[in-house]
Amino acid sequence: MVNKKEPKYNWDFFNRIIEDIDDNRNIIQCISCGKCVGDCPASKISDFNIRKIVEKVLDGDESILQEEDIWYCFLCNKCSRICPKDGINIPLLIVGLRNEAFKKGSIYAIRHLKRYVRMCKKFLENGTIMDESDLTQERINEIKEICKFARIKYLQKASQKNIGIEE
Amino acid sequence: MEEFKSLTLNTEEISKNYDDDHLEFFKDKTICLFKACLEQFYPGIRNCIKNLLEDFELNVTTCIEQSCCSQTFFQRNLITRAQFAAINERNIASIDKIADILLISCNGCYNSFLRGRNFLNLKEIREKTQQILKGFNGEILLSPNLKIVHVLDFLHLIREQLGERLKYTLEGIKCAVHYGCHYLNLTIDNKDIKSYIAPKNKLEDLITVLGGTVQDYQERESCCGWGASQNVIHREQALQITYNKLNSAENAGADLIVTNCPTCLYTLNKFRSNLSKNFGKKLKIPAVHINELIGILMEYECDQYCLDRVSPLIEELKV
Repeated sequence: MVNKKEPKYNWDFFNRIIEDIDDNRNIIQCISCGKCVGDCPASKISDFNIRKIVEKVLDGDESILQEEDIWYCFLCNKCSRICPKDGINIPLLIVGLRNEAFKKGSIYAIRHLKRYVRMCKKFLENGTIMDESDLTQERINEIKEICKFARIKYLQKASQKNIGIEE
Repeated sequence: MEEFKSLTLNTEEISKNYDDDHLEFFKDKTICLFKACLEQFYPGIRNCIKNLLEDFELNVTTCIEQSCCSQTFFQRNLITRAQFAAINERNIASIDKIADILLISCNGCYNSFLRGRNFLNLKEIREKTQQILKGFNGEILLSPNLKIVHVLDFLHLIREQLGERLKYTLEGIKCAVHYGCHYLNLTIDNKDIKSYIAPKNKLEDLITVLGGTVQDYQERESCCGWGASQNVIHREQALQITYNKLNSAENAGADLIVTNCPTCLYTLNKFRSNLSKNFGKKLKIPAVHINELIGILMEYECDQYCLDRVSPLIEELKV
């Protein structure tokens, strides 16, 4: 018989992920029905299993942050549409988990970032990721102001260092 | 604190109040077309809807102050929710100054506007957003005049008037529809739960008005394979989803796949050679945005890239 890992009930982790996300106020009521996995595009092409991810979050198991699974979510919202419970929003949960993974230095968080370097540069320089921009410099400065302390701003700098995200 | 209500235009109310001619509602309004990033690859998406609105003698404009919606960066955790909401509010304030209606032809941008506004209902995010906007004397508009509408909801509302003006029809052409996840699974527009879980069929209605036949297929509700940049970070796996979609539509006998999102259009078109290489089958079914399709049927000047995609079908279009 396989022994199920003892849940840690780590409320600190749970609260960090859920606390300020009103859309997930009822995630603790997840009944593990698995409907979310049924027609999930990410589950079709990878080991991504949202039922297990929610279970880990509710158990307070932070190991999920270092796994690649959370980076496979399509953020397509299909699970939210299918979920029989109100107040559970999986895509926002995933965005929250990924954010926490960034803070914890997950290798998967930075693995594909080099593909975003050019796009981020364009956005900060032109206010748009299109080739042409109508925005005046004054307006572009507003975008820069908004992104003053954002990761998007540091990506450019980081890409110049040899940490695997150079262009 | 007052709730930040969705800015979605209530098309159902318009259809009730303007029973004879839904276009009447828009006559004294200025409509701003939101510039979506992927429209740069498909200029027909904006040109065709602009021509159509002008044909209906409506006031159309674009906003030179708008930035990108920034959803890509939010999804990739490169900006916070407050920064995302601030970018959104900056756009709302800029567009509110010049227009009454914001017409969006992209699911991602549409979702961004609703999501960004929705975040403001959380005190912590609202305060941070206000703080960020203060940096350049910007502010959150509590109740802007601006209303936001997705192009599919708009076209569906005016479909009768549209049908009367067509130069060509889709007679004899079988169309598969692709709504895209961020339209199909949207939770934050102003609709009630009943309309949310009800089957969505506005694209089908439009195809019928355009004279075409709707072809159902197994993967109708599935993702195009873009998957919030899964195509960028896990391309080989994500292409499986794209292949399943196109293959399913083609096998069901559809001549064309019609979508209402430039990102989905990009994914369904751009990677055809990768799909042939990976799956050993050359898929022929063309994909087209609903705006481009209407443009062709209205005989607007379309860009060559659009014509190349649909040229095999053009000869079959009947006057």
